[in-house]
Amino acid sequence: MAVADLVKTFTFYEILVGMKATITVFIQRIILRNRKAITLQYPHEKRDLPGTYRGMIALLKYDDGTEKCVGCDLCEAACPSRVITVISAEVEGEPMKRYAREYSMDMTRCLFCGLCVDACPVDALAMTKEFAWARYNKRDLRLDKPQLLALGDRNFPEREKKLEFQHPNVAYFNIGHKNLPSKAS
Amino acid sequence: MDMLVFAGASVVKIAVVMVTVLLTVAVLTLAERKVLSWMQDRMGPMEVGPYGILQPIADGIKLFFKEDIIPSGANWLLFSLAPIISLIPAFIGFAVVPYGPNVEVELYGVTIKPFIITDINIGILYVLAFTSIGAYGVILGGWASNNKYSLLGGLRAAAQVISYELNVGLAIIGVIILSGSLSMVTIAEKQAGGILNWNIIGMGHGLGIWWWIPVTQVIGFVVYFIASVAETNRLPFDLPEADSELVAGWMTEYSGMRFAFFFMAEYANMILVSCIASVLFLGGYHAPYPGTLLPGILGYFEGIAWFTVKVYGFLFLFFWIRATLPRLRYDQLMRFGWKVLLPLALANIVITSIAVYFLR
Repeated sequence: MAVADLVKTFTFYEILVGMKATITVFIQRIILRNRKAITLQYPHEKRDLPGTYRGMIALLKYDDGTEKCVGCDLCEAACPSRVITVISAEVEGEPMKRYAREYSMDMTRCLFCGLCVDACPVDALAMTKEFAWARYNKRDLRLDKPQLLALGDRNFPEREKKLEFQHPNVAYFNIGHKNLPSKAS
Repeated sequence: MDMLVFAGASVVKIAVVMVTVLLTVAVLTLAERKVLSWMQDRMGPMEVGPYGILQPIADGIKLFFKEDIIPSGANWLLFSLAPIISLIPAFIGFAVVPYGPNVEVELYGVTIKPFIITDINIGILYVLAFTSIGAYGVILGGWASNNKYSLLGGLRAAAQVISYELNVGLAIIGVIILSGSLSMVTIAEKQAGGILNWNIIGMGHGLGIWWWIPVTQVIGFVVYFIASVAETNRLPFDLPEADSELVAGWMTEYSGMRFAFFFMAEYANMILVSCIASVLFLGGYHAPYPGTLLPGILGYFEGIAWFTVKVYGFLFLFFWIRATLPRLRYDQLMRFGWKVLLPLALANIVITSIAVYFLR
């Protein structure tokens, strides 16, 4: 055993094994051409993101174009980083119905945990697959309601149907249903 | 008139060699990144030109237009001098390398050797002397930057170069004993006649059918190659640079063209070391079969082609090793240099000289 170890040391056996590994990959890449690089040319080709990917948060609309959000503030309460600010107000002339007059998200603080999406009783929030949101000015990352709605329009072209039996003045709390639209891939 | 012709021919030869070396440096910067990425399942540069082949040009332009920063605490003179001290010795060694057969051409009554710039009778000593001066560039650059990482890199370079320069010198003594000459041209000429006569096998020295075994320069070759990897500060011996420990070692404070000088010096040193290794151990411009396949003048270019193949083979080996091995620890480097390579090189000298003394 000791002799074998000595021979291995003097012939650089371990180093040669390592060099065989690298040259094998090299030959497979260049000569046999049966191996591809595992990296992607990122801006030109993008990898497939899983359906559960947690990217930028978007506000959703119903298929008739009305906002889903009922201004209940539960997302603001659920948010661990105090990203969300909701200013709720009554709908003019419909005292039972409320909406978010102002809705803003400070995405510099967001940790993309998805608790707001889970907290939302009307499935008005969803997480998109967008992640390339580098900005020169950090104030550009404080998204207001039109921007969040635009994110939703952009990423979820298929809108959820507003249910028939839903009374216009009563929010339909679909807790436990989790019937979010599927993300665009 | 004779002097003028000789000088003109020399200038042309020098220009051709310099342009070739600089082009090779440019090719190597790309080739290294490509070969490394192919070995490591990556793609390497892909953006500039098709498959990134214009990357060296882009790099050159970028380095040329970059701001040239001298830190306020730096020693201005030594800081500016260090890249030049590094670069010139790297290029100067190419003067004594035989690129092709030692033939003479008559030009306006002057005999000119077209494939050899000069044939100094102490060629190999000249190369060793100048590569040692190149180490001063690293050490001075590290000291003059007034930066602790640079200084650490410079100190490491000093220790490493002293340790491994010794092994380089001792490893080639076996070849010098066998050839009986310090001239690179003579050493190359003595290895004519096929692969068995190259110094790495060593049958070309007239010592009989079996008695070539003790003068085989395999150990010398291995020691020379490892020590030269260490001397050019390449992985796994890149302790002076050591990206993960010392930012960029002695190059930390350098930018723009000064950095480019260091960069070029490193690659030129790699080429020089490969040239010397192929001349000393692998027969230089000699083909692995006796003589040449092509007749006349074409045969000379066949020799140059073989030399190029050998040099590029060595350069590929440099990349290959870099892709495979991680960096040594500092004490491992020192122990390996002094306790493994030095005894091996000394044993090689003793065995070779005893064999030559009794058998020739």
